[in-house]
Amino acid sequence: MSETESRNSTAQPEQRVTTTGESSEEVREAWTDYQFAGDAKIAAEDIDVYYGEEKALQSVSLDVPDESVTALIGPSGCGKSTFLRCLNRMNDRIKSASVDGSVTLDSEEIYSDGVNLVELRKRVGMVFQEPNPFPKSIKDNISYGPRKHGDLDTGLLARLLGRDDTDEEHELVERALRRAALWEEVNDRLDDNALGLSGGQQQRLCIARCLAVDPDVILMDEPASALDPIATAKIEDLIEELAEEYAVVVVTHNMQQAARISDQTAVFLTGGELVEYGETDQIFEHPRSQRVEDYITGKFG
Amino acid sequence: MSNVNRTELATADSTTGDLLSLGVLGAAVLTFVGSWLLLLQWVDEAATVAGLPVLNLLGVGLVVIGGGLAFVGVGSRLDYVDTAPSSTAGVVVGAVFGLLWAILGGLVGTLALGDATVLWLPVAAVFGIGGFLGAVLPREDVGSTIPVAAILLLLGGFIVTGGIGAGWTWSPAWSSAEFPGSELVPILVVFGTLLGAWSAGKAKEGFGAEGRQAGAYYLIGSVVFAMLAVLALLIAFIVTNGLQTMLTGTSLFGGRLTVPFVGVGLPWPEFPFLMNQTGGLYVEIPGVLPAVVGTLWLVFGAVSFAVPLGIGAAVFLTEYAERGRFTQVVEIATNGLWSTPSIVFGLFGLAFLVPRISGGNSIVVGQLVLGFMLLPLVLITSREAILAVPDAHRDASAALGVTKWQTIRSVVLPAAMPGTITGVILGVGRIAGETAPLLLVFGGSPYPSNTPNVLTSFTLTAQPPFVTNEALLSPASALPYQLYSTITAGVFPKEIFTNTEFGWGTALVLLLVVVGLYAIGVGSRLYFRRKLHHE
Repeated sequence: MSETESRNSTAQPEQRVTTTGESSEEVREAWTDYQFAGDAKIAAEDIDVYYGEEKALQSVSLDVPDESVTALIGPSGCGKSTFLRCLNRMNDRIKSASVDGSVTLDSEEIYSDGVNLVELRKRVGMVFQEPNPFPKSIKDNISYGPRKHGDLDTGLLARLLGRDDTDEEHELVERALRRAALWEEVNDRLDDNALGLSGGQQQRLCIARCLAVDPDVILMDEPASALDPIATAKIEDLIEELAEEYAVVVVTHNMQQAARISDQTAVFLTGGELVEYGETDQIFEHPRSQRVEDYITGKFG
Repeated sequence: MSNVNRTELATADSTTGDLLSLGVLGAAVLTFVGSWLLLLQWVDEAATVAGLPVLNLLGVGLVVIGGGLAFVGVGSRLDYVDTAPSSTAGVVVGAVFGLLWAILGGLVGTLALGDATVLWLPVAAVFGIGGFLGAVLPREDVGSTIPVAAILLLLGGFIVTGGIGAGWTWSPAWSSAEFPGSELVPILVVFGTLLGAWSAGKAKEGFGAEGRQAGAYYLIGSVVFAMLAVLALLIAFIVTNGLQTMLTGTSLFGGRLTVPFVGVGLPWPEFPFLMNQTGGLYVEIPGVLPAVVGTLWLVFGAVSFAVPLGIGAAVFLTEYAERGRFTQVVEIATNGLWSTPSIVFGLFGLAFLVPRISGGNSIVVGQLVLGFMLLPLVLITSREAILAVPDAHRDASAALGVTKWQTIRSVVLPAAMPGTITGVILGVGRIAGETAPLLLVFGGSPYPSNTPNVLTSFTLTAQPPFVTNEALLSPASALPYQLYSTITAGVFPKEIFTNTEFGWGTALVLLLVVVGLYAIGVGSRLYFRRKLHHE
């Protein structure tokens, strides 16, 4: 970090002085130390991520509270998506990626050896940037997860043995679709292929598919960036609703979106560092860091 | 919309040049079709239409095309016709025309002056250079019509005046072959009409970029036509030759179907060529039933051996193995295996499988050998199909906490299924017609008198391997093998067919069986595709 800033700014967020040569490490720790009531749902500590030789995240520590929306913002290539993918260990799927540090979910370490990835990803669901429904019917998209986890069995054998879960499946599909505000639009064509839905509907279907597994945390990687404004508004409303029950972590490019929907915001800047983390209003109105203010006001990034 | 001013973007709807070029194009198409009819001998070369011999008619067609082209070209140059030509037709067109004119000059030189190289070569060179310059130097409208028109007029004139006709033969001294005019003329006319169509297509769109586009369109279209014509010719030939044999003794209600348990006979279609044995004392009309059944068993066995193995290997290579040297080696090996000649597979089966499995030719070794041949294609195509499944599906499934194997089974493989089936269809088409390895490891009597009875031949034994099947371990017949052994045998044992007749009938049945297998494959591909996409 070439830029150094005054420690004073932590005491008085309104006045930023950017001249004195204090240790940036200490300053940054203060800026990113966001205190909230209750325990952290997810606590990441000193996360370093390397893609081969390249360091994508520099010692990021961030606590995510439950039942709220946490937005991760920053310019392209700042590591916010990488960080998100650390939270359900999706980075394990990239061969060149290696992750150092600790992430706990309800105080349980997820980066220890014995962790069951299937259980982890059931509890930490994820929605991707591009809507990616499976080329199956709407119903099958929703019931795919529970079915594979053995919670639903509608196969031939189950039917023969009288342990058919068809009713449960209908119930689950309806509940998930209603929760994702899609039921009214698709309830008459549940057996149609999901690829026939519009982009916004597909994305809400992906959210419903994620909810059907009944996770604790929902990670969203720029969930509205491929959608038109109306579909985006629907997704945003949905995210705010979901925050009543789940811990939602949203990566977004769009700062207005972050300001609208999130309770707390973390700003990542180039080089993979978390520069500032705090209540959304505070971040957007009184950022402590000069760089964050430059980014938010559009001077940089 | 009368107040709209016409600009250069919107040219006139229809001009004289347009209509004229369209007429020339029509003449070209008609003449083209006519010369094919003659070439395929659907029309006899001695036939006359409206008092004119057909060959002369083709000549008239060429003269009309040539005249029309010259008219359009010159008309465009003198601005009577609205066009937008470039400044030159281009070097490529010039080179092609130069070559054509050089060939023409060579022919004329040979005919007029004799075969000595010193005599015809200069003529050819002069003609060639003339053709090149004639195409390149003038503006595009003249350069791409007049050289064509001149060739067509010359050729058509020769044909109309009888200079080249049905009775004329060309017997060049450098070859002992003779080219009769009845074949040479339609061939020349076919090429002439292609040239004419290209030129007229260009003229119709007013030359320039759009004209070149149209010219290319007509040339490429005629290539497609030629390909379809070859296919149609092949199929028509087999059908016309084989249909008579295949339909011998058929009737709609002549047969008897005995209802099981009741014992009542019902009228039933009779199809002796398909339903009879090939040999045997009491067979009146020999048929190909043993060969049909043998082919179906071969294909069934090969597919059920190769498809699971091929898909399994493809899944391992794409989903589990790290991409690197190992997968490259496998890729090269499978490509090599696919291009290995089939007789080599046959030899391997004969030397390795036959002594270990059946001790002689047998169905099961045939199935294995054909399975080996099918394996690489199934592997290659299903590998491509699996690689084409977007990673987004795999990510989505993993993010739901679904294991890799479940993801492969429920998301990746269904999405890759249509591609895999395409590969299997192609492979089945190849192995169903395979003859060479079957000669070595499979074929039995050339005129079998019984059908392989695989289903009811399973017997249980007390020693390993506990289940044996006499029929699978015996030689049998398959359609291509039957065809080969029939046409290479000296005489056919029954009076009713000759070897060739029986062979054509077998060929037609083979064609139908392969088409039937294709239909099954295409049907199942459609089924899987429909499941994947919203239709």
